[in-house]
Amino acid sequence: MAITRKQKRLAVIGGAFGFLALATTLTFVALGSKASYFYTPADVAEKGVAAGERIRLGGLVATGSIARDGGTDVSFAVTDRIETVTVSYSGILPDLFREEQGVIAEGAFDASGHFVADTVLARHDENYMPREVADSMKARGIWQDGE
Amino acid sequence: MIVEIGHFALVLAFALSLVLSVAPLVGARIGDARLMGIAEPASISILALIALSFAALTVAYVQSDFSVANVWENSHSAKPMLYKITGVWGNHEGSMLLWILILAAFAALVAIFGRNLPATLRANVLAVQGMIAAAFLLFVLASSNPFERINPPPIEGQDLNPILQDIGLAIHPPLLYLGYVGFSICFSFAVAALIEGRIDAAWARWVRPWTLAAWAALTGGIAMGSYWAYYELGWGGYWFWDPVENASFLPWLSGTALLHSAIVMEKRSALKIWTVLLAILTFSLSLLGTFLVRSGVLTSVHAFATDPTRGVFILMILIAFIGGSLALFAFRASTLTAGGVFHPISREGGLVLNNLFLTTAAATVLVGTLWPLLVEAVSGEKISVGAPFFNMTFGPLIVPLLLAVPFGPLLAWKRGDLLAVSQRLFAAFGVSLAIALATFFIVDRVSALAAFGIAVAFWLVFGAITDLALKSGVGKVSAPVALRRFIGLPRSVFGTALAHAGLGLTTLGIVAVSALEVERIAVMQPGDAMDVAGYELRFDGIFPFEGPNYTEEQGRFTYSDRSGRERGEIVSAKRFYPARQMPTTEAGIASRGFSQLYVALGDRAPDGGIVVRAWWKPQVLFIWIGCVAMMLGGAISLLDRRLRVGAPAARRATPARPAVEPAE
Amino acid sequence: MVFWITAAALTFGVCLVLLAPLARGRTDAADSRVHEIEVYKDQLLEIERDMARGLITSGEAELARAEIGRKIIRLSDARDAGVVGGKPRAVGSWIGAIAILSLPLVSWGLYAATGSPGYPGQPLQARLQSDPTQASVDELIARAEAHLAANPDDARGWDVLAPIYMRLGRYGDAATAFASASRLDEPTAARLAGEGEALAASAGGQITADALERFERALALSPDDVRSRYFVALAADQAGNGEQARQMWQDMRADLPQESPWHGVIVAAIENEGTDASPGAEAEAIETMVAGLAARLEANANDVDGWQQLIRSYMVLERPQDAQAALDRARAAFGPGSPEAGHLVAYGLSLGLEVEQ
Repeated sequence: MAITRKQKRLAVIGGAFGFLALATTLTFVALGSKASYFYTPADVAEKGVAAGERIRLGGLVATGSIARDGGTDVSFAVTDRIETVTVSYSGILPDLFREEQGVIAEGAFDASGHFVADTVLARHDENYMPREVADSMKARGIWQDGE
Repeated sequence: MIVEIGHFALVLAFALSLVLSVAPLVGARIGDARLMGIAEPASISILALIALSFAALTVAYVQSDFSVANVWENSHSAKPMLYKITGVWGNHEGSMLLWILILAAFAALVAIFGRNLPATLRANVLAVQGMIAAAFLLFVLASSNPFERINPPPIEGQDLNPILQDIGLAIHPPLLYLGYVGFSICFSFAVAALIEGRIDAAWARWVRPWTLAAWAALTGGIAMGSYWAYYELGWGGYWFWDPVENASFLPWLSGTALLHSAIVMEKRSALKIWTVLLAILTFSLSLLGTFLVRSGVLTSVHAFATDPTRGVFILMILIAFIGGSLALFAFRASTLTAGGVFHPISREGGLVLNNLFLTTAAATVLVGTLWPLLVEAVSGEKISVGAPFFNMTFGPLIVPLLLAVPFGPLLAWKRGDLLAVSQRLFAAFGVSLAIALATFFIVDRVSALAAFGIAVAFWLVFGAITDLALKSGVGKVSAPVALRRFIGLPRSVFGTALAHAGLGLTTLGIVAVSALEVERIAVMQPGDAMDVAGYELRFDGIFPFEGPNYTEEQGRFTYSDRSGRERGEIVSAKRFYPARQMPTTEAGIASRGFSQLYVALGDRAPDGGIVVRAWWKPQVLFIWIGCVAMMLGGAISLLDRRLRVGAPAARRATPARPAVEPAE
Repeated sequence: MVFWITAAALTFGVCLVLLAPLARGRTDAADSRVHEIEVYKDQLLEIERDMARGLITSGEAELARAEIGRKIIRLSDARDAGVVGGKPRAVGSWIGAIAILSLPLVSWGLYAATGSPGYPGQPLQARLQSDPTQASVDELIARAEAHLAANPDDARGWDVLAPIYMRLGRYGDAATAFASASRLDEPTAARLAGEGEALAASAGGQITADALERFERALALSPDDVRSRYFVALAADQAGNGEQARQMWQDMRADLPQESPWHGVIVAAIENEGTDASPGAEAEAIETMVAGLAARLEANANDVDGWQQLIRSYMVLERPQDAQAALDRARAAFGPGSPEAGHLVAYGLSLGLEVEQ
């Protein structure tokens, strides 16, 4: 009787650890495949990004680069004043999306090397700039403040 | 003058909280009832002082006193009165003051309703509350003082962030803080138990109602925040797996685990050490959430002016409290005696399973939330972990738990019979499966996965109904007897069933929206119409509108159903707030039953048209109705007379009335 | 004075409240084990209720009762029930005394360091009702704004306020004011041109599409509106159509009466256009604007936004020394250590300026 209880307890504890191991594996596999890296246009030029890899592209919206096709498709250029990447996007841009403002475009390069974004994030109030953008701009000494 | 009195009251409250965090603790140690006696009046006085301070700040907002820097930064004389008042906590400094006000209120409640608690336990609990209050008061006074003044005062304020100028601000943060801070009571009880080195049945009875109250408030706060983001941000999303959202979701997950493990501890004196650890972890996660929101270390869609020095300060508070309590736990946990034994297949076993899944899910969310920080610290690379990660990990972890939920309440304590329970649940299983199959074959675009999700949702709802039916003896006794039994069931049984059914409703809403949502985007000219899931949405044009502190361009739409009958008007707008030079999008939403038609305006096209994005959100309201059901379930459980058991002293004093009623 | 009395009363009251339990001396506290037994007794009752309702079988109830019974016996056996309370001890009295003494010391000490005790509240309503001759320009404008907020249909009021905003460099407000006047009354050429100019100024001299649209509407109403013609030409110049811009300015010059103040501006514009491939007219416009801003801040230094705008403008014009000097002047004006100065220093640092602390 005592043995079976002990065995049962062992089985339960073993099951729990098995579950935890499974969850841990799942978490790290997911981190490996689902986390997206942040790139500035200069990073893209330096390191290169494989087509189809999901990234977050950050920088400023280049002046005069916003072009609408009259419909819902829009394209704009993201620049860090060193390199520029043209982004195409279909949908509604955030309220505070403007020229010379920080922006993060989430998406991937297609086979022809064109960046297609499915999400565009801009700052939420006049004090706020996407942190990655602010940091990398400051690091390159070209940040103009989020004004 | 009132401003400075508020400032002084805050400083005095800090001094008092220092006394509260030391004197009763020493009193309990050396057995001096006088020092322990300080705890009660001190806790109540702190509440009174902070309430005075909060009132003073509110008066400054209402009077547009721009000599107060905080008012100048976050208010505007043209702002509607409601937002002048809610603006008090629509910014970092003021919201910290609200946080502390709620903390003080909880401590005062323990002081008042805890007169029948063992004296040393009560003194220790209040002392720990005093320490938390002292730490956060120091933080506010040193780095985020809402009473800083400007001389000479500017003539106009800078206005509140327009996104926050919404009724949601009146409800969401206070509820959320009630939840976050409510868990501080569980934390204080846990630390007090560790200090005393013993933990008894009264402890669990005491902790459970606080956990329930905090959990119910947190559930409501998260749900309200989700609905607010849904209609205010204009993206049509209700959950973004954003770090700040995760920060509120983490304590919810571990708080849910705590809620369940406290049942085992109360009923069977088992899982003591684990429950204490969970109580510590839950509040630690609340603190972590506060840190993540205020420090700006993670990129978030939530707007909060952030400041690195504040982040460092909160980080120090975080390390002191989490590190201190965990160290205490490591030293003292072994002094707590283990409790009753149970078979793996039993109510206890079910609750352990619940805890295993919930804490693992919480750990996954925590890793995903903090991973970018870690990677950046190690390699300097910036990454983001978003919805794809959480969908891949959280989903598989939570689905087995959802499947197991209906079994739990039906299992007996100590040793249960899984086969018998399965047989009892057979009807619920059959009905859920039938509904899922029916939707799969009848409704277009329902994938097998979505049908499975629908089955899970109904399984939870019918499982809860089965629980109620079996407990009132439906089928075994005559209908009138069953009805009488049903009415006489303990409130906690209703609470459990309602909360579990609510989980099912939320699941239903999420599955329906994910699988069946229809999105249309088009450039529309006045007079144009588009089809959204069978509804015809006609654009009538753009009309200007002048609000109290904003101008608005309203896009007016009429929509008609399949038969061509006109069903109503939808107004979706672009607002512009001149004080902050900031535009916002006001989504237009029309509810049809539990489904919604959601319209957001985009940019003007050069030819005079406007980009319109419209969604059909089927059964979307169930997401929040389910949360409200969970919250109500918590509230009903709180009314259970079992949780209001008195102890000797109070019982002698008021024999007829149960003594412990934190919820009332 | 009222403040000090209130503060003293609060402190005294709190000390008194703490003194009460200390003075009470010995109080008996119940043994915690009694509480625990009470809980178990309640659990026994609950088992009875559950059984009566048929929630558990009699066998389960028996087991549960036995378990709780064992717990009660174990508790009753424990003899070491340490009753807390006991005699007041000296060390307790000392701690109590220190605690009460610390209240006034900590609170008054900390408040003295952080508070502004002599500074009364400044409710906006009361400030606006004070004597107008004592009021600052900002306050007078605020009164005009308050008047317009109360009578939002007063188009004339907006007409009056808009140029004042323009002069103060509050271009966004000026644009809104012109637009409000147009909306409430009717869009005239002057109002539209004013709005366009305000929009252009708030975009740093750039004739944006919105601004251009206003000028074109103004010209549709009144084809010889000088201001609109000038800016439409400037827009063409900025868009790279220098030749076209030059032609338009020359046409304007021919049309203008001799005494018009616009002559000088147009002549300058034509000259700049010819001599300079870089954005000449625009740069000049900015220079003029910056000089105006600097002069205005010299007269009235109490304008954080203005300083910020000036510093940024100097940086855009690549005149960092001037930006540095402006920042230093602003700091001196607000007083080092004031929140405004702090704000501007942070702003300057973000632009790469240096600040000696």
